[in-house]
Parts: sequence; C-alpha cells; structure tokens
Amino acid sequence: MSTFRVEPQLLADKSALVVGVGGLGCPAALALVRAGVGRVVLCDDDRVEAANLHRQILFDERDVGRPKLDAAFDTLRARGGTEAGILRVHGRLLPDTARALVRDVDVVLEGSDNFATKFLAADACQLEQRAVVHGAAIRWHGTAWLVPPGGAPCYRCLFEDVPAGAQQGCSEAGVMGPVVGFLGALMADLALRWLTGDASAAGSILSYDGKRDRLRTTAVPARRDCPLCGQRRIAELIESAYVSGICTA
Amino acid sequence: MEVTVRIPTPLRSLTGGEEAVKLSGATVREVIDGLEKAHPGMKDRLLDDKGVRRFVNIYVGEEDIRFLDGLDTALESGQEISIVPAIAGG
Repeated sequence: MSTFRVEPQLLADKSALVVGVGGLGCPAALALVRAGVGRVVLCDDDRVEAANLHRQILFDERDVGRPKLDAAFDTLRARGGTEAGILRVHGRLLPDTARALVRDVDVVLEGSDNFATKFLAADACQLEQRAVVHGAAIRWHGTAWLVPPGGAPCYRCLFEDVPAGAQQGCSEAGVMGPVVGFLGALMADLALRWLTGDASAAGSILSYDGKRDRLRTTAVPARRDCPLCGQRRIAELIESAYVSGICTA
Repeated sequence: MEVTVRIPTPLRSLTGGEEAVKLSGATVREVIDGLEKAHPGMKDRLLDDKGVRRFVNIYVGEEDIRFLDGLDTALESGQEISIVPAIAGG
C-alpha cells in the first residue's frame, strides 16, 4: 500500500501555536505533531474534566483533574512527539502576552471557546504578520478558515467586533465530539497546507454541517473599512477590547 | 419572489429544527420580516437597531449583502439566502 504524507523535512523547521487544547485543539495538535511540525506550542490554562472526554481526544479518565497541557504533552510524546518539539504555555492568551507568543511561530491555530480570545488572536496575528487558522464548533455545526499574514480578508472583515451581551454557554449548547474532531482535523489541514506553501484556502470560510454531512465554502470579501486589515486602526492590543461571554450564535 | 433561507445549526432551535425555510419577499428585509412572523425571535438574533448584527453575515447566493444593498438587496425567485453567524466553542 502506498502512503501520502507531507515530507517531514518540509515541516521540521516549522512551528505552530495551538490556542486552546480542547475539542478542536486536541485533534489539531495531534495531526501537527504526527505530520512532523518541528515545534508545536500549546497554550491553555484549564484542567481536564470528565465532561471533556467525549471530544478531547488527547485525554482519558486518568487525566481528570490534571492540567490539560501536561496530559496533552504525555499523549503527544507517546504518539511520536519529541520533548523538545512540544512546548507548554500554561495560561490564557492575553493582551500582554499574545504578540510575543504568535511572533514566535509560523502559524497559529485558534480553537478557543470565547470570542475575546478569537478577536485577540486575530488582532495579534495581524499585528505580527502571522497566519492564523480560526476554528469553532457548536452542536452539529462548525467553521474553519485560514487568514494569511496581512488578512484581507481577516476575522474582523467577517465578524467586526466582540459580540456584546450574554452569550449562550457551551455546556448549555453542547458540542458533538465527531464534529469538533472533524473541524480540528480541518484546522490542521489548513495549517499544514499553509506551512508547505499552499495559500489557496485563504479568503473563504469552511462551514461544516454534521447533520447533513455538508461542507460549504463561502468566499469572504475583504472590507475596506475593516478596522484591522483595511483601515488598520487597531495598532495595539488593549485589554478592555477583549471582553465577552463564551460560545454563541 | 419565493426564496429559500438556509438556517444555520445554532438558530434551528427557533425553527423547530428546520434547516431551510421557504419564504416570499422582494428584499432581504421583507424575507426577514416573514421569518420573524413564522419563527418569532429570529429577527432579534439577526438584526439590531443599526441593521444586521456585527457578528452575523447574510449572503444572497454567494454575495454578502453588505456589498450589495444591505437589507434592501432585491431578490429573485429561487435564490438562496444563507446566514453565517459567528460561533465560538469547541
């Protein structure tokens, strides 16, 4: 049987930051490590809960209560990752740390469960000229898209600003394990393509409907009045700009 | 003009699980009004007092209505309206 994979030497000197090691970040990190990305940086501040196990595939019952990053590190090491190739940043992506973290890698995979972090990652990547793959999932639906350095379009071209007001919680809305697994793998696919020189996915958002098994590609036009990649009014990360609830729609 | 409105998964609780709703209207605004009548609560999820909510995108076919005539975008029979809301979760 023949196999197809990205040549490891193409990825050995590449690096990725995975923001949020949850239902999306777990499969994405596993795919990156197994593909041979030389340095995978994991960023999260949570501990493993029993309710995570149906969708966060790097953890099992023995990990409940442990920091997610430590449990993820052990699993990734057991799956072929190297100690030097998996780095842990215990904590959330915050305005005072975000730029340095994204600056240090080639691509960012953002699969966080709150809008504040999504907009923060988008802004930090734009300011540091780094590619970012945004991923999100709720119930049977999810999205993934690649934003190249410089945006046009970027996350703010599509969603403009952090939603105000109360948002529906993940625990209330629910997240299907196979759906986040698919979206996490899709995020890794977009990141690996970017790392190997293929930017053809940029400019479109991929929407997956797990109930109808439909993957739809929708072109996202760049907005000339986008405050981030258009008018470039966002020149720094201000903490008060990143406040929101979790999940939604 | 009869058009089909594709309802994204997060909003299907308002349509009783319906994935697509057929409605009549000459503009996007009229279709949203019809959507509200058929499925109360939908309009508030899509619009605020300034127009389409900032974290919601509405497409006619493949075109974002922000780049057409916004809520006054004219519709042709058989067109499909898609709603793409921002989601966070995983």
